[in-house]
Amino acid sequence: MYDGPVQDVIDELGRLPGIGPKSAQRIAFHLLKLPKTEAQRLAAAIIEVKERIGFCDRCCNISENELCVTCTDPQRQTGALCVVEEPKDVIALEKAGFRGTYHVLQGALNPMEGIGPEQLRIRELLARIPEEEVDELILCTNPNIEGEATAMYLARQMQPLGLKVTRIASGLPVGGDLEYADELTLGRALEGRRELQP
Amino acid sequence: MIVKRLWLTDFRNHLTTEIGLDHKVTLIIGLNGHGKTNFVEGLALLSGARSFRGAKVDALVASGKSSAYIRAEVEQNGRSSLVELELAIGGQSRAQVNKQRVKTFRDLGDTVRVVVFSPDDLDLIKGSPLIRRSLLDDALASISSQFRAVRTDYDRILRQRNNLLKQARGRLTSDLEASLVIWNQQLVKVADEIGDQRSRFVSHIEPVVADFYRRVAGTDDEVSLTLDASWLEEGLAKSLLSVQDEEIRRGVTLVGPHRDDLVVLLDQLHSRTHASQGEQRSLALALRLSIHAYVAQVSGDNPLVLLDDVFSELDEGRARRLVECLPDAQIVLTSATGTVPQGVQPGLTLEIFEGEVNGI
Repeated sequence: MYDGPVQDVIDELGRLPGIGPKSAQRIAFHLLKLPKTEAQRLAAAIIEVKERIGFCDRCCNISENELCVTCTDPQRQTGALCVVEEPKDVIALEKAGFRGTYHVLQGALNPMEGIGPEQLRIRELLARIPEEEVDELILCTNPNIEGEATAMYLARQMQPLGLKVTRIASGLPVGGDLEYADELTLGRALEGRRELQP
Repeated sequence: MIVKRLWLTDFRNHLTTEIGLDHKVTLIIGLNGHGKTNFVEGLALLSGARSFRGAKVDALVASGKSSAYIRAEVEQNGRSSLVELELAIGGQSRAQVNKQRVKTFRDLGDTVRVVVFSPDDLDLIKGSPLIRRSLLDDALASISSQFRAVRTDYDRILRQRNNLLKQARGRLTSDLEASLVIWNQQLVKVADEIGDQRSRFVSHIEPVVADFYRRVAGTDDEVSLTLDASWLEEGLAKSLLSVQDEEIRRGVTLVGPHRDDLVVLLDQLHSRTHASQGEQRSLALALRLSIHAYVAQVSGDNPLVLLDDVFSELDEGRARRLVECLPDAQIVLTSATGTVPQGVQPGLTLEIFEGEVNGI
């Protein structure tokens, strides 16, 4: 145990994701060595982000204003709506060239962590669909157990709305070698094979 | 597959053991408590399985040390590879084959295949269903990485579903029902796969077990194996619905592969409750022998046979007949007295004294 404030910093850092006790200690001592101005800049940045950034009223992505940049973009094709777990997934899909709209669930179903449908932004999603003339809902949750469960749950909830619901494919990474793919991925890729039109 | 050389470092009471093994039969003698079973355990761990004595990593590391190392030079189809394990207390244990790290310990099973016979095998017949389920799953996992993945998924989905049931606090709301439908679907998908593989496996080995039993026990008694999985017939989806109320009340999943059992009948009677000790021992041996035969057949490899103090528990006739049933594989056996049944011809005899191994 260190003196009060030092231990406080270590404890707080240790609560962050991916940071164990050792890393927390290392970062804390790094902070101690920093010039005061730099430390203040970090503190100010944290406070600022918490004060200024909230969630978009429509898509639940992080946003500085009531509506996020994507939701106010007139160039967006509103027909296709992509459902993702986290804000960082939006960035990934943007890089992939998707130009429809998004909905960020802020997580996936995970009873072990106490996350049920009420904890996700599903109500908001259901409210959006009739308003926005969505033709297709693309479920882009992660291809793991929790992500699959979330996708299935949503597909069921959407059934009465009679809209097209699709699931993002899983399979081989582009530019990769078949031999390096693990058996599970390869198995999935085989299942999801498509007929080739010459 | 043949283990040519074994190194044990700070592993239990073996601080620096390095020894070459015979490619046919190696006999290890030594007084009780000097490290015979530890030696066998070290060999078995190379296959990536958990300790057959159910020991945690902390128990495997010599006292006062932070890591134990097991290394072996293994020959498979004329190619030799170096298999290495580091077991670290409280840290990340690691395994590598030819200096290439493997993702999970289980993947070592593709390089090293082992079948262990131990005095505790009596529990295969007498013990709880869990032990028999593990027997089936370990055998299937050792030859199929796809089964390993399905098994891991099942455990995770089951944990999620149990958590959901617990959170319900005994009440079925429409929200719970909507979530339950999804987790049921997920569970059913993987459960079907497990049920299918297990039942095919059981019907495949049943005649083999029966044959081995007759040969080991020297009788004509009839052995039958069935997978006791009530849900398989009507499908898990339906079974889950029929117990749903009770599941919600008790907050736990009540049907599925995690409650299956392998029922071993001897002359149509439950061997768990009706067979004599000698009969149970013969059945356990027959199960192990047939697992060896199955793994050998499917993998095309000949697993290493480890016999840990097995003969001392058997009468002379059974011991002799067991020797006749042993596969033509590399064998390592231990004995406290040094006497082995006729027909066992050790190419190499080693003596263990206080964790030190020496050739005789």
